[in-house]
Amino acid sequence: MAITILAPAPAAPPPSQHHLEDVTSDDEDEGEAMDIDSLPSHRSTTVITPGEKITDDVQWMRGHGTYIAPIDEVTIRSTLAGTLQKTNKLLSVVPLRARYNPEIGDLVIGRVVEVQSRRWKVDVAAPLLANLPLSSINLPGGTLRRRTSVDELNIRSFFCEGELIVAEVQSLFQDGSASLHTRSLKYGKLRNGYFLSVIGQGGGAGVVRSKRQIFTLQTARRSGGELQITLGVNGYIWIAKHAEDAEMEKEVGINRLEEQASSAMYSSQNDDIGPDTRREIARVAGCIRALMQGGVKVDEETVRRAYDACVELDEVEGEVQYLGGERGDAIVEIVLRGS
Amino acid sequence: MPLDTSTYHLAHLRLDGRRWNELRRFHALLSTQASADGSSYLESGNSKVICTVTGPSEQRRSGAPASNAQRDSAQIIVDISLAGFSGVDRRKTARGSKDRKVMEMQHCVEECFGGVVLGHLYPHSVVQVNVAVLSQDGGVLAACINAVGLALVDAGVPMMGYVAAVTVGSTGTGGGSGGEGEDADDPVLDLNGLEENELPFLTLATVGGGGDGGGDAGEGDKVNVLVMETRMQMAKLESMVAVGLEGCKRVRALLDAAVKGHGKKVLEGKVG
Amino acid sequence: MAPYANLPLSPAELSYLYSSLAQDPPIRPDGRSATQFRPLIAESNILPSANGSARICFIDGTEAVVGVKAEVEQTHENHLVAQNDTRDGERTGRPDPSSAGSWFEISIEIPGLRDDDALPVFLAAMLTEALLGDGELTLKLRINNRFHWRLYIDVLLLSQPLSYPLPLLSLTTHLSLLSTRLPALISEGDEDPLFSDDWEASTFLYTQPNSNAAGKLHQSKPPITLLVISAGENIIFDPSRDELAVAEAVVAISIRQNLLGHMEVVALRTIDAPSRLTASGVPRSLDATTGTNASVSNADAQALREEDEGQSVWRPPRGGINRAKLSQMMATATMENGIGQEVMGGLAGVQGS
Repeated sequence: MAITILAPAPAAPPPSQHHLEDVTSDDEDEGEAMDIDSLPSHRSTTVITPGEKITDDVQWMRGHGTYIAPIDEVTIRSTLAGTLQKTNKLLSVVPLRARYNPEIGDLVIGRVVEVQSRRWKVDVAAPLLANLPLSSINLPGGTLRRRTSVDELNIRSFFCEGELIVAEVQSLFQDGSASLHTRSLKYGKLRNGYFLSVIGQGGGAGVVRSKRQIFTLQTARRSGGELQITLGVNGYIWIAKHAEDAEMEKEVGINRLEEQASSAMYSSQNDDIGPDTRREIARVAGCIRALMQGGVKVDEETVRRAYDACVELDEVEGEVQYLGGERGDAIVEIVLRGS
Repeated sequence: MPLDTSTYHLAHLRLDGRRWNELRRFHALLSTQASADGSSYLESGNSKVICTVTGPSEQRRSGAPASNAQRDSAQIIVDISLAGFSGVDRRKTARGSKDRKVMEMQHCVEECFGGVVLGHLYPHSVVQVNVAVLSQDGGVLAACINAVGLALVDAGVPMMGYVAAVTVGSTGTGGGSGGEGEDADDPVLDLNGLEENELPFLTLATVGGGGDGGGDAGEGDKVNVLVMETRMQMAKLESMVAVGLEGCKRVRALLDAAVKGHGKKVLEGKVG
Repeated sequence: MAPYANLPLSPAELSYLYSSLAQDPPIRPDGRSATQFRPLIAESNILPSANGSARICFIDGTEAVVGVKAEVEQTHENHLVAQNDTRDGERTGRPDPSSAGSWFEISIEIPGLRDDDALPVFLAAMLTEALLGDGELTLKLRINNRFHWRLYIDVLLLSQPLSYPLPLLSLTTHLSLLSTRLPALISEGDEDPLFSDDWEASTFLYTQPNSNAAGKLHQSKPPITLLVISAGENIIFDPSRDELAVAEAVVAISIRQNLLGHMEVVALRTIDAPSRLTASGVPRSLDATTGTNASVSNADAQALREEDEGQSVWRPPRGGINRAKLSQMMATATMENGIGQEVMGGLAGVQGS
């Protein structure tokens, strides 16, 4: 079958019993006094909507996603649709969905939008473009080298418009935009793989901050090798062939290491990637897309589980290359069941 | 053809069988489009509107330098397009330019949300809102406002509360049947296209919180849009606004239910 | 999905994508086969105020709505070609194909673009071309010698144009034309047309698929336009944005089903492949940042690039598409029980709401 056409689930007109009466009766968990104290310290599962009163108890402090009504200057109200999060005495609302909000230390993947005289402007899916100053990258030839005017002139030979980088948020500006750095061997230009974006998924779906954002995945196919998956906190994902020379580099002395790494650091030349590895990359990408469409968070565990589920389903029900539609739903179901 | 309002006084039923204070069928959906930051679809009777939001995103450097006010807070740009097939007759579009009515609507929606969105959290950025009116049958401005509000909620743009909009008309002056007594001047809520053509009406929008009627009344309800393009007696205004405020409250409950229903679905779908 | 959707891809990505697509069989980034389409969400007859309407959502989030409105218009004298046999009385004129183009009007709205920008105008021209090439639509629009229907086809792209929106718009237009109904004519001959008020009695512009069971002849259907790309030796249908970015050639093929039930090509256009505008990648051996081999001469550098042949370093494609490949594309699209028929069959099954 070359084409699948789905029924329009999202915009189908509702059944006609959608009347005024039903609407209000639905809100069983409404009411004047939301019992904050009884909330678990992490997140509630009740949806709060904009303008909704959270509390008028003065002991609480307002965090993100809330404001204090100007009328009585006590009542804390929500500004977003989302869930309430309580951190000690701080109340904040986590939106169901919003753009990425950079925080210091986040590992992000970004695409260079603009090259300026001493910095790059990088799209990290945040409201504002991030900055990557020339002074925050590893210059080839070792970290000890000074930044020269030649480097400034050659700025395009490091990163060009459209190129993908993996970086860390170093600091935040007043307006909330991020300043990045790539001063580590694991950061820099991305090669040998495929880019995928799962942004626009708030409320726990999409990529979540976890212990490890970069991990390797042993593929089921023998010739598939290992894949390295980089989950940018901003929802950009890079799935690449795992560089095998990583082991080799460990044996090289610490000073040589810099040189070793830097020779390939700004290259845009791909290594040889076998067809099986490519197929596995496509499969992992399909798994992540299925997770995203199923509204499941994307982290190391769910990706691994989805991949295993996918391999298992291929064995049981025959191999399917395209992981949209039913197969994707089946994968999501298995992932959710396992948790 | 003048609207036949003569039967209204017999059963107090309108042409489509509603009573004076009944809303039309209201149906709202969020996140209808995966590629936008926020999107919504809204049906109010036979008026259908699709809205998509992009942003907040970095202000593109274009033409005139942004004024200081724009740099300090997010700017909301609304683009409304009435589809050629949306009306009864096919509308001829002027190439590249919009007619005055649409420009006014755009401005009205921009102003309406400019005061509600907490734009200072997103300095020098832009929230681009695109509204496509697929079918118009009365209350188009109100439907646009409601749809934009939902799409902004979906995009996670912080707002002081919902903006709920509704139209209110007044019977008794249309069709030359005025002066049939006090009774005849009933305000009617949420006009359809036919009524809108005949009766004087106004569009009213209020800001208020989610939850049931925004918690305590009086605090939550603030009128932030009041548009009227027809003539009528001053004396009727008060009762119409009163009916409108009540209508807005009910629309807000519907909007809130749509958001809550959507939120529940989102939360159920994911790992706890 | 990305806020800066119009950015180029990085050379490393381009190279990876291209070399994957050029494998035998091609490895598409989403695992599809070369002729597999992405699933789409479709519904028709969504608007009460239009004669026909449809909405299609692609899985990448692009969405379009099309509404068709019909008006009665007086036929200009010279729009008709006088037939030899004028004594026939009943049919004295036939629409002249050359001027009948003004019998319908396609306008395309894309958010953020004016409707006289290049893209919407070009897309509208391509859709019009396919409908005209069909030739049958104008016959269907004829009421009598003095009057005809004038169709206004308004195409609304509701999302940002993430990938080339032509197939989306074409499929949605196809669906909306399938659902288009015209009021039943109750007047006769060349008198001023009078129509039945009963919408139930209205006739479909294109005959519905289930009603042709009795007749041997297949009913014609509005044309569809498919996007096909070539990468290496492979031909790939329904390219996603990523795949489009590395295509060597992009071809829009408009096909329709003729009365015998066969698919035939009605229009063909090549579209500028975006890959030609990309910058090529820098081979590692020429990388200036390593500072080791700045002394390579231009000729040597050129030779090095040629040697690689775009295998591991991105090199924008050169040259055009050869005839053999073009005819292969057309053959694949129009094949018996092939892609064209499956897509049309799929769309015919879409139920109105």
